[in-house]
Amino acid sequence: MLRYLIRRVLYAVPILVGVSLITFILFYGVVPPRQIARRNLSAKNPTPEQIQDWLVAHGYDKPMPEQFKKHMTELFLLRFGRSDSTGEDIAARIRAGAGPSFLIASLIFASALVTQLFMALWAAYFRGTYVDAWITFLCVVSMSVVFIVFVIVGQYLLGNLMRFFPLAGYQSGLSAFRFAFLPAVVGVAAGLGSGTRLYRTFLLEEVNQDYVRTARAKGVPEARILFRHVLKNAAIPIITSTVLAIPSLMLGSLVLESFFGIPGLGSYTYDAINSQDFAVVRAMVFLGTLLYIAGTILTDVCYALADPRIRLE
Amino acid sequence: MIRSVPARGVLAVLAIWTLAGCNNSPYPPGITKESIFFMSQIDDPRKLDPASSYRDDEGKILDVICPSYYEYHPLKTKVFQLKPMLGERDARREAYNYTDAGGKAIAGERWTFHIRHDLRFQDDPCFPSGKGRTITARDFLYAFRRMADPVNGSPVVSFFEDKIIGFDELIARNRERQKRGEPADYDAPVAGLQLDPADPYAFSIALNQSYPQLRYLMAMHFTSPMPYEAAAYYGGDIQRHPVGCGPYVLESWTPKRRIVLAKNPNRPPESYPDDGDPGDAEAGYLAPAGRQLPLVDKIIISTITENTTGWNLFLQGYQDAWILKQTNFQQAFSQQGMLSEEMRQHGIRLVKTNDIGVTYFAFNMQDPVVGGYTPARRKLRQAISLAVNSQEFIDLFSQGNGIVAQGILPPGIYGYDPAYNNPWRAYDPSLARARELLKEAGYPSGIDSKTGDRLTLYYDNALTTAGGRQFVGLISRQLEALGIDFESRSQRDVVWQNKIDGNNWQFTDYGWLADYPDAENFFFLLYGPNRRPGPNLTGYDNPVYNRLFEKMRAMDDTPERLAIIHQLRAMIEEDCPLIFVQHTETMTLYQGWVGPVKPNPIGNTLHKFRSVDAALRAERQREWNAPVVWPLAVLAALFVACNVPAVLVVRNRHRRHVTQRGSSTPVSPSCSVT
Repeated sequence: MLRYLIRRVLYAVPILVGVSLITFILFYGVVPPRQIARRNLSAKNPTPEQIQDWLVAHGYDKPMPEQFKKHMTELFLLRFGRSDSTGEDIAARIRAGAGPSFLIASLIFASALVTQLFMALWAAYFRGTYVDAWITFLCVVSMSVVFIVFVIVGQYLLGNLMRFFPLAGYQSGLSAFRFAFLPAVVGVAAGLGSGTRLYRTFLLEEVNQDYVRTARAKGVPEARILFRHVLKNAAIPIITSTVLAIPSLMLGSLVLESFFGIPGLGSYTYDAINSQDFAVVRAMVFLGTLLYIAGTILTDVCYALADPRIRLE
Repeated sequence: MIRSVPARGVLAVLAIWTLAGCNNSPYPPGITKESIFFMSQIDDPRKLDPASSYRDDEGKILDVICPSYYEYHPLKTKVFQLKPMLGERDARREAYNYTDAGGKAIAGERWTFHIRHDLRFQDDPCFPSGKGRTITARDFLYAFRRMADPVNGSPVVSFFEDKIIGFDELIARNRERQKRGEPADYDAPVAGLQLDPADPYAFSIALNQSYPQLRYLMAMHFTSPMPYEAAAYYGGDIQRHPVGCGPYVLESWTPKRRIVLAKNPNRPPESYPDDGDPGDAEAGYLAPAGRQLPLVDKIIISTITENTTGWNLFLQGYQDAWILKQTNFQQAFSQQGMLSEEMRQHGIRLVKTNDIGVTYFAFNMQDPVVGGYTPARRKLRQAISLAVNSQEFIDLFSQGNGIVAQGILPPGIYGYDPAYNNPWRAYDPSLARARELLKEAGYPSGIDSKTGDRLTLYYDNALTTAGGRQFVGLISRQLEALGIDFESRSQRDVVWQNKIDGNNWQFTDYGWLADYPDAENFFFLLYGPNRRPGPNLTGYDNPVYNRLFEKMRAMDDTPERLAIIHQLRAMIEEDCPLIFVQHTETMTLYQGWVGPVKPNPIGNTLHKFRSVDAALRAERQREWNAPVVWPLAVLAALFVACNVPAVLVVRNRHRRHVTQRGSSTPVSPSCSVT
């Protein structure tokens, strides 16, 4: 397994370079450096000299291959530099924002996973009955409603009507959970439909397998079949769909963080694209790619742990 | 399932404790009883560096941390008035004649500034002992040298570059050094920036021309004294660590969360003014006269990106002030400009501020169809101008709040005349005069008399939001009524900006907010040499206008200057390169517990005049936000109702299973299980 992991890590290098190169070319293709300068300069109408000064100060006056080489070297050393727009240290900003993003996203992730699996098992247990039909109906409704409606309804019910939780804001330490609850409820509710439907499908595929029939023939209770045997065998597709979601835990949710005033990383990349802050964009793309690669490697490891038939060689 | 009694007990206690602790306050307990003003911002400031911060939101924070030699009198807003802040007295302005390097005699002027002797920088780790040191004239001149450093990208350096003697050479030298990878020169002598060897609290600025606007620039944070220790200590992070001597210091700045300003113990003594405009006493603006500033201990500015969230927090009482957006109008107003009953019952009051600015539609004066200076082209622009109904824009997009603009100058600026009526801005629903002018311009009923084609006006804009599309719809409807085709090209901001810069446009919309309250800062929008990339969007270039502008900008506010301003106004009226729409108003809602603050659109030091009745605020917040539990009972009932069928199904299955086992019916091996 170790050799496999080393090989996967080495494969990651060309992927990282390739993704960064594509980002580099795309960004420069859409927004030339002079435009980046113009956007990020404070002056309403910057002079050509001011634009040139900015390009020189930020290293955008160098030939593109030289710029790319410098960017890649810095990124591989995890030296993200400073934002083109605000001048803040990107690494410090990521460190500050990753915590709140991780708290909210991991709460949603864990609660959603448990709730969705529970609902899926419930639906599978009552498959073909009106309980299953009702769950399917609710899932379709949940999938049909746009995310922002969940946010607004959640804020209205729990923040405005019942007044149990703050509409927005954040505090560090244990108080953070008070601010995380409402976005977590909204996040779980919004993801319930699609997740439940997906896991129900995985579970029902397993329910028709021979080993389930054998277990039933042997008189194993239905609940035990589902929780002990079916769930374990359905783990592979469930692992695939869940582990690949891990990178987003660090990178946050744009809509949730915007509406609930969470000082995370959800809008960091979005804002950077809007303000043409290439320094932040390339850092976040690099980080996102890195996390995604780590997620896929972790998925493979989880496969091997969950299914003894799989060996990583 | 938890069956043990102790475990159930613990869970119950936890549940009660959680519910008891549940409330919707976004602040730590008790904090709203303190002398703090709570407000919000849509986004973080980009930076808080006196040399480079330019945005309005940045200025409002920075100006109470880093004050300057002058500041605007907070209560005198009919005619804006400067008063010394860090200055001991008004600057002395005198003629300064000299001969330049080429032997040419120059008639310039010299300004001598004397600063207060009791000024100290705030305590900050950048100082050796952590204690702020005394401020001297050197710190003021250091601020100018920071502006000349290209790394800082100061947006106002062009105001000084061609005026302070030797400043352009310093900038050029720093640019060369930057290209070589060397740091800027902070020690080189500059002829126009002089310290007084005999007085560490005096400095002078020598200019190669008369420049009365310098006094306004000395009221902006760009010229605020700056300790060299801060730049050395914070390096690139200086943009997030302003070090000044104002009433507040930046206590903390958590990105995307909040900015906290706290009283600066080293602030210079300053009291609330006891004089203002007529009517200020009656409005309560003089009530705090003589009280030491700032009036509250802290200002907490939360970052709330979403308008809906911020608005609801304001209605819950967790924000002391709220700048109204278009989406809030329906709930805030019962009719045009009148607060709704709900707002009034909450004790909320509306304060309107006339912005020192103007919005307008602009013609590209180089465009072959609408540009140019021939009588026919002028008439075409005048006809289009007559078809634009500014009041409709104000009614639709600002709930009737705003002033129809007749000219380039807004109220409060010397030269603004409320009685002036621009003949090409007099909207007549019949459009009779407009059609007549259109015919005289060669487009009878909107048809080109030479080609027979209908005139098409191409409108480039960056209005891609829902509100933007409504705006486009309105101008489109107004101009199409004239019989011309109107084609809107809405694009991303970057694309639009490129088109404007590249002179690849015909008709667009724009606006201008003043840097300082002087007519020069408006008329320069049409000064020929200021064409793109300068602020002259239209490329208007009238030699007579240019000459008069050059004369006017060097003059103090005198009747002679006023006469020139009227001449410039008449030229703009006749040539019609711009269609003036409105002088906007900012509408702010204040909670009942907030003390009166006179709006001042040009002064950025509003924070130090804010006051609150914290006890009343805490009481109202408690009253307005008592938790409501009945929906929980509804949810519980719903949960039970939803689960009853499931329980019944389980019971039925179980019963069937038992019955089947009891009857010993053989199960067919071919029976499939699904």
